[in-house]
Amino acid sequence: MTATFAPTTSTELQPSLPAQTWQMSKRAIIALARQPALIVPSLVFPLFFLALGSSSFARAINIPGFPEVDSYLDFGVAGAIMQGVLFGSVTGATALATDIENGFFDRLIASPVARPSIIVGRLAGAMAFGAAQTAFFLVILLPFGMNLEGGVIGGLVLVVSGTLIALAVGALMSVMALRTGSSEAVQGAFPLLFILLFFSSAFFPRETMSGIYKDLAGYNPVSYIIEGMRDLVIEGLSAWAVVRAVLIPAALSVFTVWLAMRSLNKRIARG
Amino acid sequence: MTIETTTPSSTGRPSPKPRSVALTAMWPASVGLGVRNVRNIRRLPSAFLPSLLMPIIQAVAFSGTFFAITMIPGFPTDRSINWFLPLGVLMGCGFAGIGVGFTTVRDIESGFYDRLRMTPVPRLALIMGPTLGALARALVVTTTVFLVGLIIGARLTDGVLGLVTLYIAGFGVAALGTFWGLALAYRFRDMRGAAIMQLTFFLALFLTDAQTPLSVMEGWLHAVARVNPFTNILRLARQGFLGDVTWDNTWGGLVAIAAISSLTLWFAVASLNRLRD
Repeated sequence: MTATFAPTTSTELQPSLPAQTWQMSKRAIIALARQPALIVPSLVFPLFFLALGSSSFARAINIPGFPEVDSYLDFGVAGAIMQGVLFGSVTGATALATDIENGFFDRLIASPVARPSIIVGRLAGAMAFGAAQTAFFLVILLPFGMNLEGGVIGGLVLVVSGTLIALAVGALMSVMALRTGSSEAVQGAFPLLFILLFFSSAFFPRETMSGIYKDLAGYNPVSYIIEGMRDLVIEGLSAWAVVRAVLIPAALSVFTVWLAMRSLNKRIARG
Repeated sequence: MTIETTTPSSTGRPSPKPRSVALTAMWPASVGLGVRNVRNIRRLPSAFLPSLLMPIIQAVAFSGTFFAITMIPGFPTDRSINWFLPLGVLMGCGFAGIGVGFTTVRDIESGFYDRLRMTPVPRLALIMGPTLGALARALVVTTTVFLVGLIIGARLTDGVLGLVTLYIAGFGVAALGTFWGLALAYRFRDMRGAAIMQLTFFLALFLTDAQTPLSVMEGWLHAVARVNPFTNILRLARQGFLGDVTWDNTWGGLVAIAAISSLTLWFAVASLNRLRD
């Protein structure tokens, strides 16, 4: 008996690009949710630091150069969100590097999956986590006395900002994952993020700094994003605040996603 | 024969307590394990460099970011680096000690530790050896962070004595960090312990007057920092950068180091004894 199997054309069974991307995103989000040990530190540590700062720097808000705020808590919220999203973004890129290390990435490449969905899926997971982190910080801090002058709309803008920051940083970290293929190397980027955060106006205003620190914070785009987010909290909704909180991370995202796609193509070409 | 001259019958003196081979080997074994620990710096620099670089970055970043805190009335120095340099040193020394815990977890997972325990090395040497290695690492960390601090403007206010108290505090934190790291490595035997080592040490060090003096802070942290023994260790480390070195600022730190080291050493020994095949 001869049995013949008619070959199916890949286009018949292949889901559309959005469907593939959605499946890859779902995988990234579920992977994050299944490993609380990976995500809890980026939720707890920023809150811990903010709690420490609220107590330690309670009297610092009277220093000349500090904006008018009711408490250090109001001032520090934007820095805490940035800290959480920066450190949380490493998690998604580490997972991508782990995929490369354990060979799953090669199997994905061998399958008829659309190439962009590999990266976009991962970044969508990072964006969802960034949005959830920002919303989590706001919900937790409101009962502790945070005064959100921007109201509900201001809060939503902050969530959008957190999402875009996660996209920009997640894409940048993905570049590192794709170029090195090492989760250890991605984790090693932690000091770089630490420097980006501490040489900015995340914890104290630029007006209170001096010398080279003030210059570095002035060159650091993180300062401007944080200042936009901070204005939404302590001053209220304004076009200038939205521009800094949303448009700067959006512009950075365009650049870092392009870099990530380029790194993906290079890796595939390398084989 | 020599051996006869030391017997009670020939000398008439009371018989000396027999010394076990293990007891005789305690010091050389500890030194050997300590040297192995230090050699690992060259073999695996990626495991040591973070504990050297992070305190430098932290001291520099904190002193720059929080430059203006010296303007708060009652702040004990006009140089922010003088306030944050000792914090960086203690952070680095603590992580030099905790790093020993990471190494031990790797040795347990690879099976090297089982082979080590089968040798006639005294149990205590398994703890004291890595501690010597951690102290050597702490020496490198303290010296490097201090020199970088000097370059960016840190100044001793009571001469060399202030440097001595900084080193004492650094060595003390490295030792207690080692005991704590080893105890958790023996208990967990895998990298789960590593996260707890870091987190607990981090909490212990930051729930103090790490960022601002007790007299300046407000709220819940003041109550916690006042009773946290690590506040005394920080005071011991900082005094040479904030004014004169005094006994009042010294004894509390020494007692805290002695007490925490004793407790963590006991915990490490008990955990090592529980380590079964």
